[in-house]
Amino acid sequence: MATDNRSASGASTVTRPHVAVANKLETVSEDAFAYVLLVPTFLLITVVAIYPLLETFRLSLYTDQLGSVGVGDFVGHANYVDVLAGARDVVLLSGFWYGVAITLGFALVSVFFETLLGLGMALVLDKEFRGRAFVRMAILIPWAVPVVIQGMIFYLLFEPSIGFAVRPLQELGVMSSTPLTTTRDAFVLLITADVWKTTAFMALIILAGLQSIDRSLYEVGRVAGATRWQRFVMITFPLVLPAVLVAMLFRTLQAMQVYGIVVTMSGCSTVPSLTCMVVESFRANRFATSATIAFLTAGIISIIIGVYLVKFVDSLREIGGDV
Amino acid sequence: MSRRRFVRGVGATGAAAGSIAAAGCAAAPWGGSDDDVPEGAEDYDTVISWHGGFADDESDDVKDDVREALWDAGLSKEIYVDIQQSSDSTDDVLDQYTTWLSAGRSDPDILNMDSGWTIPFIERGQLGRIDEYMSEDRIAEIEEDYFPASVDSVRDEDGNLHGLPVFVDLGLMHYRKDLVEAAGYDPDGEGWATEPPTWQEFSEAVGAAMEEDDGIENGFTFQADNYEGLSCCNFNEWITTWGGAYFGDHENLHANVGDRPITVEDEPVLDAIRMIRTFIHGSDADDTLDDFEGGISTEAVLGWNEDPSLGPYGDGRVIANRNWSYAAAMHAQDDDEDGAGFGEDHGVMPIPYAVTEDEAEYEGTGGTAAALGGWNAVPNPNSENLDAVAEVLEALMDPEFQLFVFEHPLIGNIPPRSEALEDDDAEDIPVMGRYVDSIRVAGETATARPVTSLWPDQSSATASRVHSALQGDETPEDAMSDLADDLEQLEQEAD
Repeated sequence: MATDNRSASGASTVTRPHVAVANKLETVSEDAFAYVLLVPTFLLITVVAIYPLLETFRLSLYTDQLGSVGVGDFVGHANYVDVLAGARDVVLLSGFWYGVAITLGFALVSVFFETLLGLGMALVLDKEFRGRAFVRMAILIPWAVPVVIQGMIFYLLFEPSIGFAVRPLQELGVMSSTPLTTTRDAFVLLITADVWKTTAFMALIILAGLQSIDRSLYEVGRVAGATRWQRFVMITFPLVLPAVLVAMLFRTLQAMQVYGIVVTMSGCSTVPSLTCMVVESFRANRFATSATIAFLTAGIISIIIGVYLVKFVDSLREIGGDV
Repeated sequence: MSRRRFVRGVGATGAAAGSIAAAGCAAAPWGGSDDDVPEGAEDYDTVISWHGGFADDESDDVKDDVREALWDAGLSKEIYVDIQQSSDSTDDVLDQYTTWLSAGRSDPDILNMDSGWTIPFIERGQLGRIDEYMSEDRIAEIEEDYFPASVDSVRDEDGNLHGLPVFVDLGLMHYRKDLVEAAGYDPDGEGWATEPPTWQEFSEAVGAAMEEDDGIENGFTFQADNYEGLSCCNFNEWITTWGGAYFGDHENLHANVGDRPITVEDEPVLDAIRMIRTFIHGSDADDTLDDFEGGISTEAVLGWNEDPSLGPYGDGRVIANRNWSYAAAMHAQDDDEDGAGFGEDHGVMPIPYAVTEDEAEYEGTGGTAAALGGWNAVPNPNSENLDAVAEVLEALMDPEFQLFVFEHPLIGNIPPRSEALEDDDAEDIPVMGRYVDSIRVAGETATARPVTSLWPDQSSATASRVHSALQGDETPEDAMSDLADDLEQLEQEAD
């Protein structure tokens, strides 16, 4: 009989391949096994993230070729030198460093206010009060609004012929008569729109952090005679800081990629963010310049991620967390 | 957007708009799989796919009407034209065409291209010459009879044609004839419809009409946002009507890149900016002109493109608005339930001017000038049916067909040549028929945008500098000096 024959001839020689692999995995260390399980993820990341990034880098090493399709000759790092030294400023709406300043300024200011307001909201929502569920739901409404709608809401508020907000603000000397086409005013309005929409997101993540804090710590603090402020500084803030940093990281990354709200509200010419420059140079068939700015933007974002990760690790260490 | 607005303006009712059964990516050449054959085309030998067609929101009925009209215009009954829906966003369409042509796709057979972005495709070698499959007579007909600026928008530097202008949009001055007449002017008697007043006379007429009517908030509105429409169109019209230019003679608009003079620092260009600053900021402000009526335009124009500037005009709060030809169809109809129609009180004239052609230094400048908008039918060089495509183009050239398109209440596009507009039938068309003379003058004097492969960057720099000067962030001299540097730097790149 077949079964008997197989047994007789030795099971190990006819074991099916996947069984053999499973047997092999049984013998590897726990760490090695974890890496094996991560292989598909690494492959996926390589295909969808690393390869496009490398391809972008490759494109950035060639010249723009306006008169034909694609890119021109290989020039090495010349595009980076040109962009960073300002030689491409004519084609970058207002210059690369201006774009960096606009983008970083937008990210820093908007994330600062979002964090501050988000923390405040989270602290309020962490308390027990009647209608808390409703308030939680209500603050989420702006977060649910699509970027284009958000842009249109603010556009209609500040468009000179329709928006009711323009004239009073102009009379107060706060804004010009055409705020959406004046860089300074539009910048402020973009930050306002961003804070309006995304503070709720910050609040929710920070709230999750707050609710994971062991409540008995507050009892201990109270017994030890700590004031409300001392309890916040010594218990709440350090313990919620990792959650705040995670929220700030997400928001900063999103803010560094700001594009949709700019296009909808003020246009890239008025507030030329880095992503605006990437898109506009791509549309002008400057594929190499576009790739150069894209790669530089990715570099800046990587540095920001690095800073956040260091801070995150520090904050975890301070509260005795596992790094 | 413009065509949809036009359609709405003409006031056709009962349109089955929105019932678009886009044929998707129907592979055009007959012989593809059955799934590729558009509905209704099963019985024809050849299917030609035409991306864009005439209107953004063509219903199946309109497509049927167009097909019938093409057959009436001589297209072989064996050929079925599959009109495919395109996006409302011209940026999206441009991106789509860039991808398709770069990939060498054979479908669609015909691409509708904005007259402003046909030339870069030609320069990149992505479009073929139509004289390779169209007869000499037809090519000569396009060269001789079509509006010159439209033909230039499909021509390469050697003069070869790569597409066919299908319809035009033209910059025109729309104004309230009743209000101007109440201020003591006689537009009909002075023939403004074909011989517009000078900018100075125009500003005085608008100023007088503003004084006459307390309900009027603004005299003259236009588009001065920092966008392509400023550089391609409004600024282009202003400087041309002042005898100024981007690159000297207009023959340089599409040619001699790298060797052409940069003339944006010339006095006529500066005066054009000063004139607009006068309109916006009043004649007491810096960098303005004393001879012009000041303060007739709101500062809001600095943030307006076409639709926002037209809105207040349609609401009856403005005397004059510079806009495209379709705006007449929207506001010259008789009063409708929305109160949007001014009927015969809606006047149209070509854009005013500051110097005559004889007084202008550069060829092609001076006198009235209309920025050219509109669309071209451009054959896909990878099409497997170029002979049939040529037949479709020939049918599109038929004057009767062009009149049909102009007349059709759901299309209403303006033909790209005078002949179709001179027809008595054209003057009998409801609403738009009243303005064919102005449209013809605007078509003959249309000025093309200086489109080359450098234009996207040059346009962006121009809009930014001009907007800055109009806003008062820079003087006209400084802004144009900076612009000249920008343009020069970009021109050097072409060498």
